[in-house]
Amino acid sequence: MREILEEGKISSRQAVFLMITMIFATVILSVPAITVKHARQDAWISIGLAIVAGLFIARLVTSLGLRFPDRTIFEYPAEILGRWPGKLVGFLYIMWFLDINAGVIREYGEFLVTAFRMATPLIVFNLVAVAIAAYTVRNGLEVFTRANEIFFPLIMGLIIITSILVSRETDIQRLLPVADVDAMSIFKGAMVPLAWFGQIVAIALVIPYLSKPRESHQAAVTAVLVSGVIFMLVVSNAIAIFGPDLIDAMVFPGLNKYRMVNVANFLGRLEALAMTAWVTAGFVKISIFYWAAALGISQVLELKDYRPLVLPVGGVLMAMSILDHPSAIHLQHFVAQVFPFFALTFEAAIPLLLLLAALARGKGEKLG
Amino acid sequence: MRKLIRPVRAKLLAAKKNTGGAGEAPVEKPKDNTDPDKASSFLDADLASNLARIKGIFQNCSDIVYREFLFAQREDIRLVLIYTDGLADKHQVSEQIMRALSLEAPMAAPDADITKASAYHLIKERGLCVHQVKETDRLEDVIEAVLSGDTVLLVEGHPFAIINGMRGGEARPVSESENEMVVRGPRESFVETLRTNTALLRRKIKNSDLKLEMMQLGRLTKTDVAVVYVKGIANDKLVEEVKSRLQGIELDSVLESGYVEELIEDNTWSPFPQINHTEKPDRLAARLLEGRVGIMVDGTPIVLTVPTVFVEFLHAAEDYYERFQIATAVRIVRFLSMFLSLVMPSFYIAIITFHQEMLPTALLLSLAAQREAVPFPAFVETLLMELTFEILREAGIRLPRQVGQAVSIVGALIVGEAAVQAGLVAPATVIVVAFTGISSFVYFYSASFAIRLLRFPMIVLSATLGLYGLISVLIIIVVHLCALRSFGTPYLSPIAPMSLGDMKDLVVRAPWWAMFTRPRLIGWKNLKRQEPGQEPVPPETRTGKKGGEGNTGRG
Repeated sequence: MREILEEGKISSRQAVFLMITMIFATVILSVPAITVKHARQDAWISIGLAIVAGLFIARLVTSLGLRFPDRTIFEYPAEILGRWPGKLVGFLYIMWFLDINAGVIREYGEFLVTAFRMATPLIVFNLVAVAIAAYTVRNGLEVFTRANEIFFPLIMGLIIITSILVSRETDIQRLLPVADVDAMSIFKGAMVPLAWFGQIVAIALVIPYLSKPRESHQAAVTAVLVSGVIFMLVVSNAIAIFGPDLIDAMVFPGLNKYRMVNVANFLGRLEALAMTAWVTAGFVKISIFYWAAALGISQVLELKDYRPLVLPVGGVLMAMSILDHPSAIHLQHFVAQVFPFFALTFEAAIPLLLLLAALARGKGEKLG
Repeated sequence: MRKLIRPVRAKLLAAKKNTGGAGEAPVEKPKDNTDPDKASSFLDADLASNLARIKGIFQNCSDIVYREFLFAQREDIRLVLIYTDGLADKHQVSEQIMRALSLEAPMAAPDADITKASAYHLIKERGLCVHQVKETDRLEDVIEAVLSGDTVLLVEGHPFAIINGMRGGEARPVSESENEMVVRGPRESFVETLRTNTALLRRKIKNSDLKLEMMQLGRLTKTDVAVVYVKGIANDKLVEEVKSRLQGIELDSVLESGYVEELIEDNTWSPFPQINHTEKPDRLAARLLEGRVGIMVDGTPIVLTVPTVFVEFLHAAEDYYERFQIATAVRIVRFLSMFLSLVMPSFYIAIITFHQEMLPTALLLSLAAQREAVPFPAFVETLLMELTFEILREAGIRLPRQVGQAVSIVGALIVGEAAVQAGLVAPATVIVVAFTGISSFVYFYSASFAIRLLRFPMIVLSATLGLYGLISVLIIIVVHLCALRSFGTPYLSPIAPMSLGDMKDLVVRAPWWAMFTRPRLIGWKNLKRQEPGQEPVPPETRTGKKGGEGNTGRG
């Protein structure tokens, strides 16, 4: 058992929960504004498209992963492409996971600072987030998967309950007319959510630790489908409350929605609850990518254990989260304009090329 | 930590297996075997020399009694009885050993040829009226037996000693449990004497599969420890693990099961108790029947049970005796109070300090009015009150009963009433702190320590980072709990990893006819508890008739 870097085994259900939380954590935050900007009240069509494309990515990644059911995406490129090119691909993935995580951490901090107008500097929030994630990652995949099993129903429950509570404010008329914008805008609106759904590529790391790797197909597809549909409902809900013009002007429409809650003049201003759900989900996401980066480094460098890397990687993440983007506006711009292409390279293009190469060279098991 | 501890234990075990006998008295024996003058550890045929050696060992031990007398009034067959005053049953010693051997033996066997050579056999087989007799030729066994409360009989001319099990002496009678209160359910609780405790348990599980394996721990105290489990239900590996962890203990003394607990738990740095304990035989029996293993330590009524999952601390014995709807409702209250006792003060501080907008305006105004005159920030105020409450609680436990009233008057009136009157604290703070304190009494006491402890870092972080700080601490706690294991069982099971089958005994307590399987992660070896489908069916429906169709009554 000890040769395996990460000895925990997780069930398919746990994997589904983990992936849903991972995708859902940040997509709800800034993506609605971007999608609505392009597709306006037809944002739900964009998201529908993104879900379909996301399902293809999920299928692609698991097909590739199941050809090497006991290896991660850091290891099997070496088998497909040869040692050094494979290591290069692994290295690129490490960089990608670090970068994407730095973005998540930054967004996490910016969200708390912006949304709650606290006097505390950004770096404190980032530091707390990374410190908790470091503790979690040291404990391993199995532990944060289990923790997520507790958080997941709470997060979903909070989101659903708050959505029901704001239902009084919704007006279905705001979703009309359907298909008012041109196809190009809808495609543009679909790109950013797709980049998020494509993060299902992380399942390529989890497959070796599944108790039944064969079920990863279903797991990945379920995760994309469920998180996609919930996201679609949440965005439609937000549009029905505010209308596309108002959302376009908001930074975090997912949060503003909860400010509208007012039940019996007692239960109001629920954004703190929404923040609770979001902070928890964001923490899970940070932990997964953090773990991915640390595990990736240890696997590419063929180390015995990833745990000694946890603190150094945390330091790098902290620095990147502060230095990558000079401001929140820059981050927002990056997410809207650059991130989809950057992300989809790693989420779809490279896995596709790897799968084709594996097929062409006959590497891996045929069962996938 | 496990990595550091395990290899050492494994080595100890290996060493023990090589040198020790078949498991009995594992601590002491190997050392004696290495003793240079091996012969001296065996008894002599000469009574006087044996006695001298024993007296030498028990020098200055005034509680050891040596009673020399004659077997069947024969001057040539001298006997010596050795026992510890207060540990042996004096009445039995005089009646069933001395009287039987010196006076009644000749009458009981008038035809027998009483000689010095046959005396030993006669005494052992015919003379003694003792229910439990053991024989030994080793000096250590004699010493140990005397110290454990047994009565040792030495016979002139024979290098053997007869150990008579006649333990007695003062012991607390079985009485009502003081720490685990129930309204409905058995009242009896364990006492300090191990034998009484095992008997109480045996009364609950009348089955030969209930095993009680003894061992001795503590180099000086030589405390008896019993590992109890139900064979066929408890996982054999678990039993082995418990025994091997116990055997790895090299302590001077084991005075309470807490000593054992700290040496065998999985994560010693965690504030959460990873080994549950109980003082009620019915709870122990219930846990054994779920596949757990109990560790009984002589000298304490607290019996340890492993493996432990966190939710156990939120369950009470009564949940299983009360009707299931009521049990479920009460459990919901208990879960809620656990959560409240952890987050209530922090939530209060976070709301007051950072998130005032969450409160309805009327409530906010009333709070603001209360706090207007208070000189401290909410953080300091709450921290002070929490500390005060902890002090009062500790005082409540330690103080002699007679001054209890004084403390409660001081606590309630001066700290609560006067502090508010003086404007030192806001009434809302008092309410929050008092409520938190009361909530923490609702669930099992030993788990509430962890919660009480964790409340303070949470208060500090909430005061600095608001709700975000509160959530951060909660996340760390959950992750920590997820990382914990108790003897191989995840601490948070059946919540994480989720086991839907075990949800019937988590918050909801399913009716007994529905709980036909044992907890999966613990009792997986023998999952079936009883036949399913025992739901009670009233007579009308049992016969196939529909209820209410002209059926006017039972008769």
